[in-house]
Amino acid sequence: MTVPAVGTAMKVINNKTRGVFNLELDRMTGIVAEVEGTGIDSLEYNITRFVQVLRHLGVRVSLAETMDAMAALARVDLLSRGQFRGALRACLAKSSREAGLFNQAFDLFFTTAEEKLKRQKLRKEMQEERERLISGAQQELNGVMEDWQGELPEKIALTDMQLETYSLLPEEEKERMKEILERMKANPVNNPGELINRVLQSSLNYWRYYMMKNLKEKEGSRIPAEAELTGDEELDEVIQSVAAEFYHTPGDRIKHQDMESLDDGDLPRITALINHISSQLALGMSRRYKRSSRPVAVDIRRTVRRNIKYGGIPLELKFRSRRKKRPGFLLICDVSASMARYARFVLQFMYGLSSAVKEIESFIFSENLERITPFFRLNDNFSGSMTEIVNSSRQWGKSTNLYQSLKTFKKLYGDTASRETIVFIVSDTKTVAPGEAARLLGDLRRKCGELIWLNTLPAIEWEKQPQIGVFRKIADMYPCNTLSQLEKAVRRHVLGRYA
Amino acid sequence: MNISLNDLKKSMEREGYISEDDLAVTVYLALTLQKPLLVEGAPGVGKTEIAKVLGRVFAAEVIRLQCYEGLDENKALYEWNYQKQLLKIQIMKDACARDDIEKDLFDEEYLLERPLLKAIRTEKTVVLLIDEVDKVDEPFEAFLFELLSDFQVSIPELGTLSARKIPIVVLTSNGDRDLSDGLKRRCVYLYIDYPDIDKEVRILQTKVPEAGERLRLEVAAAVNFIRANLDLRKQPSIAESIDWARALMALDADFLGVDSISRTVNTLLKNRDDRMQLMSGNVLHDLMHRLNSVGWPEKEHDCAGCGHGHEGHK
Repeated sequence: MTVPAVGTAMKVINNKTRGVFNLELDRMTGIVAEVEGTGIDSLEYNITRFVQVLRHLGVRVSLAETMDAMAALARVDLLSRGQFRGALRACLAKSSREAGLFNQAFDLFFTTAEEKLKRQKLRKEMQEERERLISGAQQELNGVMEDWQGELPEKIALTDMQLETYSLLPEEEKERMKEILERMKANPVNNPGELINRVLQSSLNYWRYYMMKNLKEKEGSRIPAEAELTGDEELDEVIQSVAAEFYHTPGDRIKHQDMESLDDGDLPRITALINHISSQLALGMSRRYKRSSRPVAVDIRRTVRRNIKYGGIPLELKFRSRRKKRPGFLLICDVSASMARYARFVLQFMYGLSSAVKEIESFIFSENLERITPFFRLNDNFSGSMTEIVNSSRQWGKSTNLYQSLKTFKKLYGDTASRETIVFIVSDTKTVAPGEAARLLGDLRRKCGELIWLNTLPAIEWEKQPQIGVFRKIADMYPCNTLSQLEKAVRRHVLGRYA
Repeated sequence: MNISLNDLKKSMEREGYISEDDLAVTVYLALTLQKPLLVEGAPGVGKTEIAKVLGRVFAAEVIRLQCYEGLDENKALYEWNYQKQLLKIQIMKDACARDDIEKDLFDEEYLLERPLLKAIRTEKTVVLLIDEVDKVDEPFEAFLFELLSDFQVSIPELGTLSARKIPIVVLTSNGDRDLSDGLKRRCVYLYIDYPDIDKEVRILQTKVPEAGERLRLEVAAAVNFIRANLDLRKQPSIAESIDWARALMALDADFLGVDSISRTVNTLLKNRDDRMQLMSGNVLHDLMHRLNSVGWPEKEHDCAGCGHGHEGHK
């Protein structure tokens, strides 16, 4: 594909460098000259950086699409902001959600120099304020240690994050910490520095966790699962602003926010959204169900070919290939304390699907496993079914023992899984005895058609959890901490397989 | 395609398609980059209409492939004329060797063109409308890749057939399911949202010129209010707001009132629950207040529950 803008730019650069040095350039020199020639204000450079912003916001932009965008820009009036934006959006954003993200990112990225300067200034001020807080906290704590009697402790070794947490503590809590340090002065121990560091560090770590949790509950997750930062301050600023604004419009916020931090006040809206998504999926599944019950048809083309030798008389009939048997689905949903909130939404989703499809077997587990399929078939509404499940179940809010649960599954319900079954496990993987659980999971994997693990831990945290590595070797694991991810997974693995 | 952006926009408006700059730029790029145009949006926002309008703008035939589940290449691309083939076999069975018959049988003479093949074999530029592409199965979607990226198709018995004239391709989708990245990558993308009040007034002006200025504005404002504030099973489309304006005209209403709304709401909302939601006291009351605020304040409407006694008939 020819890209006039890029092509022209390269020609100009090559001509310029040839003009300056008046000699033929080798390939490497040409490339270096090209890179040097395309300064940070070039169109190509800015488009590439903008594409990077989009990618980090979860918009999938391929190289081909970036090249299309450059080609499109060559065909519109670059001085018209509307045309410039329209050309880029037509090539880079390929869904309504992506178009929404694009619009916000565009406004923030392609802004005036004054606005950029203002943002840089603000960012610098915030950074200075943070440094001031950290240094203040360090001085305050050192002040307490100044008149230490006896063996001097080593310097208090706290990270910037811990010092920042200290500076944000309520005054009474700061005083309480200082008091603890004062009391330690009166009871000198061996190696006091290490003890002080340990006490302070664990206390500040706890406070940081507590403050973050409160903030998350209050404001929701500021950066949704789909948005990731780049490490480049300027780009991250755009990404954070877009994520904060875009995902705060009601529908999008609910779909892309961590399910755990969804506000109770949003429940009616969440319920309506889940019902809408699941009924759409159910409709698709039931349509496919009807289609798959058609009788197998004669393949006329192959029949004619086969029967040429009989003078065209169709003695041997050839049939179209038989449709694959519809798969059944098994849902095994973790309802332990850490999963209770996710489980409510996942079960509501599955409840919506089970109204149209009878081949879904549902189980919940924490310390042990229980079958809940009959509750979904009572033709009651979801909240009625949910109340029934919570009242009659002994699993809700307990600790997780996947090993015991899979053992029960194998013993009582093992025959519900076959090569045509797709098994979904919804869990954050935090279980006792992960090794034993993995062994039974392997048995289940060999028995079923596909084993999908929807993990409610954000993907960014997976590396910190060793058990995830063990389970990932057995099951196909996907992040599933937002409704959007849940919908995507169900579309891909349920609707996709229902053809 | 030799047309400027301005000319395209004007031509589309002349053909009755009201388009803002963004839409015109996207359509223009699809034409000049010779890429398929993928149009997404809720039902009834004017996706299919784009293809028809382009057909009129370029005086080109519109070839339509209506997608549905189970659509396969036999119905979309080509089919062999089996009856004719069988007859040929019968006629030739004693005269020719088997191999010769087989060679003759898969000649273009026995080929039945379906929309996709027809679109690439015509000598003139045509508009190929692949409507509701989100309804097809994923394998068929993948089958379209060759056509959409290279404007060619492969027929096992005949080889690869390239387009004689590159068609203008418009794909539409209601967003029932996510289309594959491969398909989206090959297209220029356009999302059409429901129009704002101004645009809908202009559409009504074009499609229902007999309606007065006040009725057009109030219908557009009412539909905008309904789309934004009611949690409906089915949002009213542009076509339905046009129908509504026509129904109101048929009843000689020159502006909206509770009575005229209740008599014509069937043309706007096709679901019983949706109609009941609109006609409930509070919603109707809010709607009438909204209408009072969009213009003609000197003549108050019949507000449900407000005691404003008035009806909008001549």
